Amino acid sequence: MQGPGLALYLRKIAGTIAQVNREKAVEFVEFELKELENIFSLLILGGFVGLPSPPAPIAMELFPLMERELKIMLSRSDFAQDPLASLMGLLQVD
Amino acid sequence: MVSNAFFLGKGGVGKTTVSAAFALSLARKGKKVLIASLDPAHNLGDVLDAKLSDKPRRVEEGLDALEVDLGSWVDRYLKESKEELKSTYSYNLALNLDSFFDIMKYSPGTEEYAVLWAIEHIRCELAAGYDIVVFDTPPTALSLRFLAMPAISTRWVAELTKLRERILTRRQTITRINPSSPVASSCTDKDSDAVYGKLGSIKGRLAGLQSLFSQESYVAVVVNQDILSISEARRIADELDRIDIPLRAICVNKRGLSDAPWTLDPRLKSSKSFEFDFLRGGLSSRDDLTALDNSGLVADFMAEASKGTA
Repeated sequence: MQGPGLALYLRKIAGTIAQVNREKAVEFVEFELKELENIFSLLILGGFVGLPSPPAPIAMELFPLMERELKIMLSRSDFAQDPLASLMGLLQVD
Repeated sequence: MVSNAFFLGKGGVGKTTVSAAFALSLARKGKKVLIASLDPAHNLGDVLDAKLSDKPRRVEEGLDALEVDLGSWVDRYLKESKEELKSTYSYNLALNLDSFFDIMKYSPGTEEYAVLWAIEHIRCELAAGYDIVVFDTPPTALSLRFLAMPAISTRWVAELTKLRERILTRRQTITRINPSSPVASSCTDKDSDAVYGKLGSIKGRLAGLQSLFSQESYVAVVVNQDILSISEARRIADELDRIDIPLRAICVNKRGLSDAPWTLDPRLKSSKSFEFDFLRGGLSSRDDLTALDNSGLVADFMAEASKGTA
């Protein structure tokens, strides 16, 4: 393999490496994002399980807008079992 | 500009009497005055010799009065929130909303917020029709909590806003690098994110209330010539300092009721003080309020009020 063929091949390898790195970077940021969204939900709803939280009326104003965050928090509860399961139990979410 | 007056103090010191006499004096000087009782145990109507409700009622020329019904404000707020939640989470009735909201009614902070909503309503919907709004407040504990609520809540909202900004930044990053990510379908900028927008509107409302308390209000503490009410006034002064609300005046009510030697606590001497004699004949009609000589207090308030307009 010589000339333009080799250059094309090397460019393809470099492109693949860059793409893999980008996807890995995004995976990490996505994980961080989910954790941040989970923390945001916990801060809003924490008052129900004894965590420091903003005054309940502020939580109530934000609650209807947090569908995505609540879903993430529910899925996160699979990892953190007991504390969040208790929270959901308190909210009577089956 | 100062256009509101709050009278705080220990239960029984005469907040309602002093605030009603103050409002009456201003009205008889030609001002348009609204006096609002925030005390759940209302007796403003008794003092003004008029039957009051949660809507302004004309007591006499230039003076309207109302008694805020905190229970109805809590119910109204919870009803609105319930409707909003039902429309968003209608598919998930497992939340058992009814029992949830029954609990919310007794949640810490709800009563303080009901007072704030009532004050906000008076400020936004009613105050434009008056020169001055006078607030007769509940006993100290609840008053200090609702006065502190905007400052405390603002700190929470600021932290939540910072966290939300981090979330939006991460979402933007992911969307930029990988447009096919599921995150790309969610809100990525401040303008389209409803939660960020709601935090901004809460922040604006809290800032309005904080400005009302700290810059647009003449806050006075009513005391009697006794240790208990003075001790409580000192605690009120400390708490007001902490939340940046200036204490403008000390109203020493029921002067002459006791012969015991008495001096004003040094902590309170930094505010102007005004003394009112004990009304030995009691209060049997609205005109009896005029026996309380509050000309000094009214003049001081008018001087503060005119500063902003000068």
